[in-house]
Amino acid sequence: MSQNQQSGDEASAESESLITTDVQPAETNRRSRSATILETRDLSVYYGDDRALTDVSIEIPEHSVTALIGPSGCGKSTFLRCLNRMNDLIDACRVEGEVTLRGKNVYDEDVDPVALRRQIGQVFQKPNPFPKSIRDNVTYGLEVQGKSATDEDVERALKGAALWDEVKDQLGSSGLDLSGGQQQRLCIARAIAPDPEVILMDEPTSALDPVAASKIEDLIDDLAEEYTVVIVTHNMQQAARISDRTAVFLTGGELVEYDDTATIFEDPADDRVEDYITGKFG
Amino acid sequence: MAVDRERAGAGFGEVSRVKGVAFRYVSFGASIVGLVALATLLVYVFIDAFDLANTNPVWLLVYFLTLVVPFIGFCLYSAGDRALTRRTALVLGGGLVATAVAFEAIELLITPIPRLTWQLAYLFVVVAPVVSYVVFVGAQKPVGATGFGLLGRTLGGAVLGTAVAILFIVLDMRLWFLVFTLGVVPAGAARAYGRYRGSGRALGLSIPVGVLGAVAAVFLRDVLRTYPTPPFIFIWTFGAPIALAAGLFVLNRGGTRRSAAAVGGVSLAAAAVGTVTGSSALPEGSAVLVFAAAAAPLAIHLHGVLDAEKGRVGLVLPVILGGGVLLGAALVGAFGIPGPDPWLDPGYLTEAPSRTAVEAGLYPAIVGSVIIIALVAVLSFVLGVGAAVFLEEYTADTGVVGAIARIIQINIANLAAVPSVVYGLLGLGLFANLLGFGFGTAVTAALTLSLLILPITVISAQEAIRAVPDELRQGSYAMGATRWQTTKKVVLPEAMPGILTGTILALGRAIGETAPLIMIGAATTVFSAPSNVWSRFSAMPMQIYAWANFPQAEFRYGVVAAGVVTLLIVLLSMNTTAIIVRNKLERDS
Ligand SMILES: Nc1ncnc2c1ncn2[C@@H]1O[C@H](COP(=O)(O)OP(=O)(O)OP(=O)(O)O)[C@@H](O)[C@H]1O
Ligand SMILES: [Mg+2]
Repeated sequence: MSQNQQSGDEASAESESLITTDVQPAETNRRSRSATILETRDLSVYYGDDRALTDVSIEIPEHSVTALIGPSGCGKSTFLRCLNRMNDLIDACRVEGEVTLRGKNVYDEDVDPVALRRQIGQVFQKPNPFPKSIRDNVTYGLEVQGKSATDEDVERALKGAALWDEVKDQLGSSGLDLSGGQQQRLCIARAIAPDPEVILMDEPTSALDPVAASKIEDLIDDLAEEYTVVIVTHNMQQAARISDRTAVFLTGGELVEYDDTATIFEDPADDRVEDYITGKFG
Repeated sequence: MAVDRERAGAGFGEVSRVKGVAFRYVSFGASIVGLVALATLLVYVFIDAFDLANTNPVWLLVYFLTLVVPFIGFCLYSAGDRALTRRTALVLGGGLVATAVAFEAIELLITPIPRLTWQLAYLFVVVAPVVSYVVFVGAQKPVGATGFGLLGRTLGGAVLGTAVAILFIVLDMRLWFLVFTLGVVPAGAARAYGRYRGSGRALGLSIPVGVLGAVAAVFLRDVLRTYPTPPFIFIWTFGAPIALAAGLFVLNRGGTRRSAAAVGGVSLAAAAVGTVTGSSALPEGSAVLVFAAAAAPLAIHLHGVLDAEKGRVGLVLPVILGGGVLLGAALVGAFGIPGPDPWLDPGYLTEAPSRTAVEAGLYPAIVGSVIIIALVAVLSFVLGVGAAVFLEEYTADTGVVGAIARIIQINIANLAAVPSVVYGLLGLGLFANLLGFGFGTAVTAALTLSLLILPITVISAQEAIRAVPDELRQGSYAMGATRWQTTKKVVLPEAMPGILTGTILALGRAIGETAPLIMIGAATTVFSAPSNVWSRFSAMPMQIYAWANFPQAEFRYGVVAAGVVTLLIVLLSMNTTAIIVRNKLERDS
């Protein structure tokens, strides 16, 4: 009994030291003060009869990085897909509750999900560039919106995704010829080219090596200057390093805690969150 | 202790593989039997079609030395592999002795072999496989790639041009001239302008402009009285665009302006030559199209070869072949060696059926087949891809729509197995009787055959579409693309190699069908090519079938064999096209 207690204390001490070296709370606070851009109210999602999310309410501030963490199968991806209505593509999926983007419920009758997705970009776990040239990949979003893309647009997006210097001489070659990390940055460039308001990322670095991953982490930090980033990650250190706010989901699709990242990692209110973060759970 | 040692001595024990080994040899034997049966059939058809049975062996020897040996030499030179050269020589030499001895032994001891000599057996059993193998190996290397690329492209272009030219037997050339001038040219111009200036409006306008022009053309067709001559129409609607496309292609590939102009110029010049030469059995002036279609890929290929600096030697291949034929002809002529009198000759392809076997030709049936295949290709591609896209991309998996889609799916799978006679009956009842498209007309036949292969095209297109990774669709939807945009810009380009392969293979099935054509009342023999799609026609398999029932042996062997070889060549070249298209598109993406 006493031994258990002790090992728990040790673990939390360890995690605390780990966090404090990586997070700069000052910056975190500056960003999290801004206005809410995305908000969900009592959001529940069902796949057939199975409930994947239970009454999730959350307010996501503008120009910030919000991390979603939690054990596998707890509904993080499901939650993310609710925000840009990618769940509409899954027949069995049913959504209850509200998701508002700047106060407008995106599940209202008069909202066109296609138009919504033009406001909310998404980056997937596995890099999925189109089998087209790098330029065509970047201009895809503008093209489907019926806008003509200039060379400046391409350059801006690729620079935004920190890929410009590596590919500026081969814009005509296939996006599939790039390395995995480059492909993922190409996907980020593709997502930011049409200038959305929000960028959703579902474990964007889990298929990459540490160097490529850290490049993308730096990039996310920069992206938050212009965009609102919501990122799912299984990597606690990553969440701690790059996010301003962190939401912890637990099995059953419940949002158990949502707060400033520093608070979540240093002094979580819920015991289950502490257990999860210190690795005793899930 | 003792037990332990015993176990160790026994190793890991034995696992029986008898069944596996037996299975392997049985499967191997079965495939060999199948191949040999097929090969024997083909050999005899070939012998009959080219009248090889009565050929003077010296004649064979002359051409073997002047044509085949240099050709093999070229391939071996390209392969650049000494071991291969030695092996080839060994097989050719050893094969010669082995075939001669074995052949004579069988004839002497077992049974006489009809219509074959040991020289012919040597050609078919040893030389033909060796040639295919060295071509295969040689074509992989730069020299061979250059040579065969040159021949293949030129030949392919010419065949394609000829097929399109044949269509103008039934198409209204003057209407096409108006449609091209008023519809295609303005639409193309709008498109080019839109691309060049990045103007979405011009791009969007191109299709309405084209449709409007086409409609206007239909109205003007009977109003206008004077038209340019056919050769000019072909230059304007095919020669010039092909030359332009060839030039742009070279520019796009990074060629200089001068080389692009040269390539375009060569194509245009070839087209101009076509205005002077006659067009034989094809519509007047269409030699322009054939020459341009052959010259453009040739010029593009030449440009690529001269640019690459590697494998230029390959360009001598046509010289080797042409020289071989000429030298052989000279020798044969000088020594007065009689050659074979093949049934399958130019006359056979350009003349109508006749009462006498010597004059009989397949021309009307070839034209009929080409027209039907063109119609079937368009119909089944549009319908097949449309149905496949609908079933794969537009239907939900659940609910009423999902249930309907599943029922359709099951029915399509079953339709693929329905005998073709039944489709013939359907075509007879539906298209010929009910809709009044006429008995034995090209339209009725094309619709019936399209229905026949529709299940195959739908299923193969569905498979190709299903093979497109879902991540790409997700990526596209997440970018705010609509379903149509996702289908058009991501799914279809990715699935196109598979769709094209499936469609072309299915077309091969349609071209050889006879039963449905008999059912809808297609003629077995017609003496002139169909003048429009509503006239009675015959197709190659129908004509072959008719000849096979003639009392004269010359028809039943020679003429039929020539028809079968023609049909097989068409089929094989279609399948080859399918494979090349697939490989090329797959490499590009
Ligand atoms: N397309 C689907 N159809 C049916 N059930 C689904 C579907 N997608 C997810 N689910 C279910 O919803 C629940 C939540 O899944 P989700 O993918 O959102 O989890 P996650 O938190 O993203 O997990 P991971 O960390 O492993 O990616 C799981 O129980 C899963 O089985
Ligand atoms: Mg997930």
